[in-house]
Amino acid sequence: MPKPILPPWVDQARPIFGAVLLLTPIYVLGVAWFAADPQTIDIGYAPAQPVPFSHALHAGELGLDCRYCHTTVEKAAHAAVPSTEICMNCHNAIAAESPKLAAVRDSYASGKPVPWGRVHDLPDFVYFDHSAHVNRGVSCVECHDRVDRMERVFQSKTLRMGWCLECHRNPDPHLRPQDQITNLGWQAESPEEQLRIGQEIRRRNNIQPSTDCSTCHR
Amino acid sequence: MSPLDPIASPDHGPSARRSPYWRTLEELADTPQFREMLAKEFPYGIELKGVHRRRWLQLMGASLALAGLGGCRWEKEEIAPFVHRPVGRIPGKAEHYATAMDLAGTPIGLVATCVDGRPIKLEGNPGHPMSLGGTDVFAQAAVLELYDPDRGQDVVRREGKRREIASWDAYREALGRFLQSAPEGRGLAILAEASCSPTLARLRHAISARLPGISWFEYEPWSDDNARLGTGSAFGRPLQPFYRLDQARVILSLDADLFGGMPGSVRWTRDFAATRDGSPDRMSRLYVVESGHTTTGASADHRLPLSPRRVVLFAMAMEAAVRRLAAGETLSQLAEAESGGNPGKAAPVRFLAVAAMDLWAAGSRGLVAAGPAMPPEVHAAVARINDLLKNRGTTLLYYPAPDPDRPTHVQAVTSLTEAMGAGEIRGLLILGGNPAFNAPADVPLAERLPKLEFSAHLSGYENETSRLCGWYLPQVHFLESWGDVQAWDGTYSVVQPTIAPLRNGKSTLEILAMLGDMVGSPEQWVRETFAALTAEEGDDAESRWAAALQRGCHPPSRDYAVPDVAAAAEASGDAVAAFTEAIRTGTSQPGSTADLTIVFRRDASVFDGRFANSGWLQEFPDPMTRWTWGNPLVIGVGTARRLGCQDGRLVRLELDRRSVELPVCILPGVPDDTAVVFLGYGREAAGHVGGLADEGVPPVGVNVHPLRTSADWFVRESVPVRVLGKKVPIPSVQDHHLIDTVGLASRTERLGELVREVTFQRLHDPDAHYSAEHEVHHPPLESLWTEPSHDGHRWGLSVDLSKCVGCGACVVACQAENNIPVVGKERVVRGREMHWIRVDRYFRGDEDNPQSVHQPVMCQQCELAPCEQVCPVAATVHSKEGLNDMVYNRCVGTRYCANNCPYKVRRFNYFYYHQRVEQPDNRLLQLVFNPEVTVRSRGVMEKCTYCVQRIQGAKIAARNEGRAVADGEIRTACQQACPAQAIVFGDLADEQSAVRREHASARAYGMLAELNVKPRTKYLARVRNPHPLLAAEHEAADRRGEGHGGHA
Repeated sequence: MPKPILPPWVDQARPIFGAVLLLTPIYVLGVAWFAADPQTIDIGYAPAQPVPFSHALHAGELGLDCRYCHTTVEKAAHAAVPSTEICMNCHNAIAAESPKLAAVRDSYASGKPVPWGRVHDLPDFVYFDHSAHVNRGVSCVECHDRVDRMERVFQSKTLRMGWCLECHRNPDPHLRPQDQITNLGWQAESPEEQLRIGQEIRRRNNIQPSTDCSTCHR
Repeated sequence: MSPLDPIASPDHGPSARRSPYWRTLEELADTPQFREMLAKEFPYGIELKGVHRRRWLQLMGASLALAGLGGCRWEKEEIAPFVHRPVGRIPGKAEHYATAMDLAGTPIGLVATCVDGRPIKLEGNPGHPMSLGGTDVFAQAAVLELYDPDRGQDVVRREGKRREIASWDAYREALGRFLQSAPEGRGLAILAEASCSPTLARLRHAISARLPGISWFEYEPWSDDNARLGTGSAFGRPLQPFYRLDQARVILSLDADLFGGMPGSVRWTRDFAATRDGSPDRMSRLYVVESGHTTTGASADHRLPLSPRRVVLFAMAMEAAVRRLAAGETLSQLAEAESGGNPGKAAPVRFLAVAAMDLWAAGSRGLVAAGPAMPPEVHAAVARINDLLKNRGTTLLYYPAPDPDRPTHVQAVTSLTEAMGAGEIRGLLILGGNPAFNAPADVPLAERLPKLEFSAHLSGYENETSRLCGWYLPQVHFLESWGDVQAWDGTYSVVQPTIAPLRNGKSTLEILAMLGDMVGSPEQWVRETFAALTAEEGDDAESRWAAALQRGCHPPSRDYAVPDVAAAAEASGDAVAAFTEAIRTGTSQPGSTADLTIVFRRDASVFDGRFANSGWLQEFPDPMTRWTWGNPLVIGVGTARRLGCQDGRLVRLELDRRSVELPVCILPGVPDDTAVVFLGYGREAAGHVGGLADEGVPPVGVNVHPLRTSADWFVRESVPVRVLGKKVPIPSVQDHHLIDTVGLASRTERLGELVREVTFQRLHDPDAHYSAEHEVHHPPLESLWTEPSHDGHRWGLSVDLSKCVGCGACVVACQAENNIPVVGKERVVRGREMHWIRVDRYFRGDEDNPQSVHQPVMCQQCELAPCEQVCPVAATVHSKEGLNDMVYNRCVGTRYCANNCPYKVRRFNYFYYHQRVEQPDNRLLQLVFNPEVTVRSRGVMEKCTYCVQRIQGAKIAARNEGRAVADGEIRTACQQACPAQAIVFGDLADEQSAVRREHASARAYGMLAELNVKPRTKYLARVRNPHPLLAAEHEAADRRGEGHGGHA
């Protein structure tokens, strides 16, 4: 009889090999599935920022309107992050020596921008327009959640296309009177009232959110 | 239960926890401290599950791998806002600035679209007389030139073989030292390219006053010097003709490529197109006599191909013929000339007679134009003919030519080189251009240049001339500098910078100022010029300046048109008889039958070679030959037969021991024994796109300048030609020989359906109503599925084939607007060019003198699109407004959609064509991308989207302002660029829209509509306006199915 190729203990180990072979891909897939879930890698994303700017303090406690700093949100696609000048409007007098604002002061002096880290980032093939939403009854809170309670801004919604389509297909629960757009804490008295208000705003402004691909993908 | 279940959430609290397990006694006891600890650990508002899952994964120990997966998220983007944001600037939103381009001495007014402080697109300025809103390919491609990484960045000093980076100060010093040795500038010469800048002229005079010893020379390899000489001899001073083609009813072009090869082409195209839509009160008739086959010839109602020598005879005969008519004689005998058995011999004579009679009948609505290649006597004759027609003020105006006393360019460069050889010139400052490359072959400028004591070249690129000079000075681009231009009629435009200089360059104005130690900046000098020019217009100079900047042009304060009358010609024999005789005897030129007459032409893509490094222009197909990336020897069918060569076969042309090898392109319609060659190719120091011998980048095309001598500047006769055995691949975008004969035959039959034409007479036949749609009969169209209703906007487009001259500005505009990549020569050979819009060119009729027509084809946005039906992943779907959406992120690259498209308008990214811009040396090119359009990577399909980014932008803007989108507010890139305004886009649901009117026209038809794809693009049939006496030739070609549909 010719010499066996495999050593004898392989016979006993075969069931274990089988189990490993079967379970490993399932395990790997499972890990990858959860890892790639938007809820894993998007929600909660809170990149470090060069300046410990607290929205909870400025927008929440002090009550600054979102548009005081994000000035272009009603005019353009990008809601521009404020220029250093806007910060220095107040901070050349208030907390003028604070070490937390060193980066801002340096920027103002040197002319180099403050390198903020982008939190809400969509892929390059998605073209989102802020003005189309903000001018039509969609509040900041619908996508950015309670920024006025965040010490450090984090992404609270998935911002995935399916999530966008939920509102595009049924905007009523997400519309509010235009004067409440930046009042992040505003809520209708009841869900039924929200739907009623939303429907009225939708009808009045002829809001027909498109679900055509070219609305956002060009 | 797993111990890792959510322990507690603020919403539920420990008292409501679902799990019976607890981890600490505090938890069990639910003390207030415990709750406080919970609240701190999990900030209110965050979804607990997300955090928890991440924590769980980390705990699993797979964190190392997953830290990488966490980077599965795309790279963290940084936002860098302004420190001081300029007032009114909105990041990401486009601003528009008016500027202008000075191309070889001709201005064109432009509007630059700037995003985030950089220009990304150029459009025509509707207020500028040379543009009226249209552009040519050169203006469209100018923005790519701005970001070309091959542009010079440093001052370079050369001594012998040594090349070193220097500085502006070093140059200033060297210049100063040379000027010390050249009192009053004696010994220093300046060789400049043509310019229409009044500030440059003013500085030049200032320098001349200060340093009177400086000699000035102007040189351009392609210019209208012959016209200047001709009008100079006719009027006593050189004049610039300005045509009003919209007023013309009969136009005769004598080798004048009005719509492509002349400085005013953009304007002429616009005006001509206005007379071509078939309206009875404005229909024009165009006669073209030419020695090549140009887009002007393609637009002609009657075309006569003649060798250059015969065109001259024709022109003189035309003058004689018109004189006879003016004297009351008749030409009807000539008009009915018999052929004596050979129709080819009679046609030119009949043509002459009929054209003369037609012109005479049109009177002041007639116009004769001669091209720059015609000798001066022809231009003088044309001036006299126009005077006889009395069309001054109607179809023709004359303006004073700038710099009337300057010698011709050839004379200038010749005398400069002689002076250099004689030692009179020791220093030379070259402003722009590339004279060492394109000087006449018998002028040894390139040899003598390195021997000069002092030589400097100001140029955008370190080109062939720069490498022979002691100093290379980087020149700023017009988009990043101050300057001005003045049109022939006196309209003044400011060239304002749209971006700070990207490289360390200076403008021509600054270089001149250095000579004279002048103080100030270009902006100041331009303001001074403007103030001086408009001094008589009142006191508010500031607001005038602001208005000029904002509008982009300042109208002239008075009418500069001159009323001069041409001097009479001396009687010199019977020109008509001379012409008739030449036709009858049949020899087009002396010399052996193996000789050709070579005609030199400026190229449709690289101009005179200056744009050789522009990828967009190199890949732009020549409107007639459809060749890219190179220059062929263009010959007619008869010549090809006689020589025995096919497309792509190399031939050698020899002259005075210099030889040039070119591939052949057979173009029906080029006269026998004549060949056209294009200037500006074969450059060895253009850049990484056009050819860079130093770095092993092969030159694109072949340099034909060795054949061009000063004595035969436009035409060279008796050039021996030898057909070589070698064949090269043909970089043409319209290959015909790849199709089998059966396919070719059936396609030829169908071409009449794809491109429909109608004569003016048939269009207005009162007895038979014409409808372009009914040219093709098909059974009633039925659809397999329910067709959706289209409420809301219904976008549509129309293309008027009668107005389209085939210039191709739409192609480059689309490329600029939509980030379309350049694929290179090898891929074009394989048919993989990426242009979303192509301008097909078809021939019809006799192969020696066919009619041709151009048809721009882009995605037809079919309502029942075949491509949508076969996409397996729904990457191409139909929008509610009728657009066929292409979703790049969904596309997996099946390419079935391209397969199913009957128009073949879909383009596939076989490679990551934009890879070039990711290399560190080329990252500057990224600035040219339009941020509103996705930059596609490999593996995705793309196609025309009706500029959906512009549609969405307009809709959002209108909604924000609470109004409806107005008709004409959305203009697709092709529509906006088209000098003829042949393309109209709009909302078909709007009853008042222009596109709806176009679609309702009798000439409107959908291409391949019988397939029931319901295209949203309609074409308007081409209207031809043949003269009744010459109409027989048209009818022969009109019969359906006859003749070649394409060129085989």
